[in-house]
This record gives sequence, C-alpha cells and structure tokens, in this order.
Amino acid sequence: MQAEEVEPAPGSAWFIGAAAWFVPGLGHLLLQRWWRAALMGGAVWVCFFVGMAMGGHLFDLNAEGSSVLLQVPPMIANLGTGVLYVVSWLLDYGFADDPAQAARATYEYGNTFLLIAGLLNYLTMLDAFDIAAGRKP
Amino acid sequence: MTLFAALASVVFGAMAKDTNRERLLYGLKVFAEFMVIGLVLGWILYFIP
Repeated sequence: MQAEEVEPAPGSAWFIGAAAWFVPGLGHLLLQRWWRAALMGGAVWVCFFVGMAMGGHLFDLNAEGSSVLLQVPPMIANLGTGVLYVVSWLLDYGFADDPAQAARATYEYGNTFLLIAGLLNYLTMLDAFDIAAGRKP
Repeated sequence: MTLFAALASVVFGAMAKDTNRERLLYGLKVFAEFMVIGLVLGWILYFIP
C-alpha cells in the first residue's frame, strides 16, 4: 500500500496562515472571503473582548516553581488570539493575579472565553491556510 | 453559555460542509448540542453535593 502524496503548500498559504493567526479574520480578508472573515474573525474578536469584560485572566510564564508547566497549555490557547494577546502583554493588561478580580462571579467565564477565543482562531487560521493551499473550496 | 455556544457554533458552522445551507444547519445543530449538553450537565452537577 502506497501513501497518498500530498502537494506541498505554496509560500502564500503560509503567509495567509500567519496573517490569519496574527490578526483574527485577516487571512480570510486577504483571500477575499468577506463573510467568512466577518463571521469567523468577528467571533474571535467578540469572544476575546467579552472575556476581558468579564474579568478573565490571560496566562503567561510568570509563575513560580513547577506551576510554570501548568501555565503552558492555557498560554498556548491564549496565544491563539495573536495580536490581541501581544498587545495585552505589551500593555500588561489582563495578566495580573488580582484576588479582587478573581473573586468576580464572571472570572472563570472570562477565562474560558479568552481561552476559547484563541482556540477558535487556530481553527480560523487552519481554514484560511487550507483555502489558500487549494485544499478547500 | 448561550453566547459561548453561539460564537463557537458560528466558527464550526462556517468551517464545515460544502454549501451555505449545510453550513447553516450544521451551525444550528452544534449550537443546539452545546445548549442541551450544557443544561443537562448543569442539572446533573446541581444534584451532586
């Protein structure tokens, strides 16, 4: 049995994928898929800002001892939001371990929204990459 | 939970299937599944001390 040959993706597909990760929705905009950009990118932006408004917490590697490892999976999820994460990190907004913030009723909901925003953007990025590589109509 | 289900189902629906009608139906199906499973799990956890 022979393995199916897969055509290598063109460089532009990698560029589109990177753009789609960095700015949610940009990949589909560059592909002129306006509706997809609005729906998928919009969902990520809304998810992120709703998470922030709920007082959610963004994860980075600022932890002590072995708990650093526990920060890695949620940080990878948060990183999926691309420029939103980078700007928040540069402004140091959303990363503080504030007990008053953690006591808010919506804190965990906010965390979940922020994690899901990143994960949804990874899906959006893969969709844009597949379209750019010609693997999807 | 409703907002979360709506946002996630929009992305899932937009990604999947071939035609717009199939995408819409799939998105609605995913939304309904999120809601039903969320409510069922909520009630199960309500009775667990």
